[in-house]
Amino acid sequence: MKWVPCIIPVLFLSLFLYAVVRRIRLYDCFTDGVKEAVPLVLSVFPYLAAMLILSALFEKSGLAAMVTHALTPCFRLLGIPPEISPLVLIKPFSGSGSTAILSELYAAYGPDSYIGRCASAAYGSSETVFYILAVYFAGQTHRRLFFPVLCALVANLLGVVAACLLCRVL
Amino acid sequence: MNAIFAAIFLLSAALFLVSDPDAFLAAMLDGGQRAAVLSLSLLTVYCVWLGFFKVLERSGLSEKFSRLLFPVTRRLFRSDDRSALSLAGANLSANFLGLPGAPTPLGIRATEAFLAKNNAYAADMLFVLNATSLQLIPTTVIALRLAAGSAAPADIFLPTLLATLVSTLAGALLVRLTADRRTRRAGGRTP
Repeated sequence: MKWVPCIIPVLFLSLFLYAVVRRIRLYDCFTDGVKEAVPLVLSVFPYLAAMLILSALFEKSGLAAMVTHALTPCFRLLGIPPEISPLVLIKPFSGSGSTAILSELYAAYGPDSYIGRCASAAYGSSETVFYILAVYFAGQTHRRLFFPVLCALVANLLGVVAACLLCRVL
Repeated sequence: MNAIFAAIFLLSAALFLVSDPDAFLAAMLDGGQRAAVLSLSLLTVYCVWLGFFKVLERSGLSEKFSRLLFPVTRRLFRSDDRSALSLAGANLSANFLGLPGAPTPLGIRATEAFLAKNNAYAADMLFVLNATSLQLIPTTVIALRLAAGSAAPADIFLPTLLATLVSTLAGALLVRLTADRRTRRAGGRTP
């Protein structure tokens, strides 16, 4: 895994070298690209703000804890240990929130325990669904987004179930 | 989405009212602050990647690369729109490599391009693929495990990869299975 940090520098180095050989005006071209950054961030900002305010309310009101409590028996049936059910529930809403939970689980159970490994695989194989939804479908609010969100959530849950199962075997 | 937003918002607000009314505004402001901080960090990340992608585009490499992926992306997204497929292909590749922040600008533009041609199926497929994690090497988790004093931080590589595969395949399959049903609904209800 030592070569992993090399991916990004190698990508940039080979592309920019190629561009120089092809006599592309690198500075002009790069700045042209950066020009699009501000409008892009502005266009997704309202949706991002609404989603993050919602996820802050969800976490801090205690609603997240209640839903976790209610879902734990279902999760147990699916083979997901109750210790990691808060992680599974927060992950779709908040990247930073779920990272904090993962660190707490490491501190409490140790990263190499079954819970630690299970949490690692569950975290690594799922995504912040609502954040991606807010950003990708910014301005597309008139569409029915129920089905794509449901597909993503169910797929993520199946990934977590698989992660818990695989950590027991592998 | 409006229903989900309203439901979670109202339930949370009611809970705050019962338990701790003072904390309600503080929680909302905290969310707003997270949005402001995140937007700033997105801006920094986009500066780097949008510059990189413009060079990639002008050098003609992205064209060559997307032609390579064309047989796969065309079938996956049920589309013949070359430029949208090229963006979607680059988005998936950036996801595989785990380049932090890079998939998002590509994904946003690909989604816009698909929707401009009324290809909601492709937009949904791209969203679900992005929302089920495609990363081949879970670099963040490995770094966190290392920081927590793990004896074998990379030990979870295989289970994570397999679980990622399960979630992504399940997501793609679910989009495919629900697609016909949704087009029928959309035909009846939305313009």
